[in-house]
Amino acid sequence: MITLKNIVKTFDGNTVLNNISTVFEQGKTNLIIGRSGSGKTVLLKSTLGLFEVDSGEIWYNDRNFTQMNQKERKILRREVGMVFQGGALFDSISVEGNVRFPLDMFSKMSPAEKQKRVEFCLDHVNIDKQAFNLSPSEISGGMQKRVAIARAIALNPKYLFCDEPNSGLDPETATVIDQLIQTLTKEFQMTTIINTHDMNSVIEIGESVLFISHGQKEWEGTKEDILKSDNQKLEDFIFANKLYAQMKKGQ
Amino acid sequence: MGFFFHIGRYFSMLKRVFARPEKHKLYIRQLFHEIDNLGVNSVGIVIIISVFIGGIMTIQFAYSMANPLYPVELVGLGTRDTLLLEFSSTMLALIMAGKVGSNITSEIGTMRVTEQIDSLEIMGVNSASYLILPKIIAVVFVFPFLYIISVFFGLLGGMVTGPIAGVISIPDYISGIQWLFYPYYITFSLIKSLFFGFLVASVPAYFGYYVQGGALEVGKASTKAVVNTNILILFFDLILTRLLLT
Repeated sequence: MITLKNIVKTFDGNTVLNNISTVFEQGKTNLIIGRSGSGKTVLLKSTLGLFEVDSGEIWYNDRNFTQMNQKERKILRREVGMVFQGGALFDSISVEGNVRFPLDMFSKMSPAEKQKRVEFCLDHVNIDKQAFNLSPSEISGGMQKRVAIARAIALNPKYLFCDEPNSGLDPETATVIDQLIQTLTKEFQMTTIINTHDMNSVIEIGESVLFISHGQKEWEGTKEDILKSDNQKLEDFIFANKLYAQMKKGQ
Repeated sequence: MGFFFHIGRYFSMLKRVFARPEKHKLYIRQLFHEIDNLGVNSVGIVIIISVFIGGIMTIQFAYSMANPLYPVELVGLGTRDTLLLEFSSTMLALIMAGKVGSNITSEIGTMRVTEQIDSLEIMGVNSASYLILPKIIAVVFVFPFLYIISVFFGLLGGMVTGPIAGVISIPDYISGIQWLFYPYYITFSLIKSLFFGFLVASVPAYFGYYVQGGALEVGKASTKAVVNTNILILFFDLILTRLLLT
């Protein structure tokens, strides 16, 4: 579980996150939604410590992340997996090498155990063995995302962060990625936080949804609650798409 | 942003670069990769440039010393001393700043803008150390070897070109390059090459590591890195020459 308490973040005097508090629960896919520029990525990166918050507290279970020094943060980050928007796979190493990298860096496994773990992770995200030795530039965008997920779960993380995992993917592949993240979350009982503005993801896996607008928490609930909500900003955002608007009318 | 901001941030980056590595084995593997990528792959261009410059200098020395009062050995001596003192250390460092420096900036800069560096940080890896330390060690390690290769092929270039151009015979040239030889010149230039190697790796790494934006900014950072490295090489050349040679 990750708890945010009154998070404030400013850049050059501009308040990007204004007093945000929420709880991201374990074993659930927690979605952060909002328009482009609403502060989703800043919230995600602040939770990870890539940006220092101006005030407020971030708790990873019972550990206060904001009070930790760099060394303690480094240790905690070994419990964290992250899937970046563009995949962020290392260009100079193969698909297999990318998944093995965190194991080489931090585990004490034998080479055979590492190989087994790499194969287990890549198998879980449905990557064929033929692709193991290819470089990231030789595989499709959808496969890159799946390899990024495999790398993120290699060290068995307690916390999984995904920054717009579906961006640039076709709807079918996007659904596969969503379902994959949800399955892994349940299977490994991770606290998963997904940053998205893809409404299909909200409908598919929105077990807990946080809607932020102009850096403020605007609404919070489940995907089922969205249909019952009378929050105008949320409605404008979610039902901007005619299809979803018609769905709401028909409930 | 001011000059002092960059100086401060550069040294703060170096502090992170020289922090204790997470896993020595991975760093050593990375070091060998960098020695191959930045050092061994530069040998060809060093040989080509040195052969041509050695040949050109021999012809120019012969031309400017076309006076019967000057001993003909001065052509070999001039070529040798120019290679030993300045060309094979300083000029080569300037050339390497263009080749190796821009490579380092664009590689690290691209990793920054594609979030690969963020990815390392989130894994708990000291990205500055993992990416930059092997490059610095590799370049500092290979620069003295490149210096020696450059001197050798520069002298060879002069020896081949001199007789072909009809300006000096091989025995006169060999006699010239042995005349009034001070071994300290080599020590002096090897010291310089260590300094220059450090600059050629660390300054472009700094510009790449802190790049912000996209592909355009990576390109601009590469240009800035090469220009600033060249200025620093010339500045330290002046300081080191004053301290060690006079």
